[in-house]
Amino acid sequence: MLVQSTRFGELDIEEDQVLEFPYGMPGFAEEKKYVFMEYQPESPFYFLQSVTDANLAFLMIDPFKFFNDYEFAMDDTLLAEIGLSDENPPLVFNIATIKDTLATMTVNLAAPVLVNSRDRKAVQLVIEKTEFPLRYPLFPAVEGGK
Amino acid sequence: MLVLTRKPGERLMIGDNIVLTVVEVKGDNIRIGIDAPREVKVYRGEIYDAIVAENRQAALATDLTGLDKLKAVDVKKTI
Repeated sequence: MLVQSTRFGELDIEEDQVLEFPYGMPGFAEEKKYVFMEYQPESPFYFLQSVTDANLAFLMIDPFKFFNDYEFAMDDTLLAEIGLSDENPPLVFNIATIKDTLATMTVNLAAPVLVNSRDRKAVQLVIEKTEFPLRYPLFPAVEGGK
Repeated sequence: MLVLTRKPGERLMIGDNIVLTVVEVKGDNIRIGIDAPREVKVYRGEIYDAIVAENRQAALATDLTGLDKLKAVDVKKTI
């Protein structure tokens, strides 16, 4: 299938590259299908490109390639709704926000994206109580990281 | 917006299958019980709003020129 993208041009993708977000994401409730792309092989960066809105794309990271002890509790009911279980655990990603430069990019650790890679479904988890912030500087050694 | 007055123990029906119960009022704090189908997500408003705002900011800018530099990014474990 062909997907139009402002940033990546026309994408000719296989159906199995599409992730369904049955509930959308907060702020984008109507966007339910995204193309999932690796930035590069072995890269900790990934993209989500909306299937229906050429302008809508997100950058995501694999948190476990950056952070040693990132953790959160998951609601079994929500996990079950998108087909996740102990036998089919989620892949975890965090959406990155780039305001000015890449060096000051932050990642949203308070609302991770959980992916059921087997069934190609995903959900953005809203964690009500977490020590991990909405805007965590990915490269904290850089001055002005906030 | 519909505004109603309720007493502790009284309920509100929202549609056919969402029930809000005023459990307790203590000073500034009001405890509310919520019975809703599991596909109805319930969040504290300010937390949900913050995530909406962050998602909107995160929607990528059209200019991707800087992203080429990601190739050079060192992967570090920082937390």
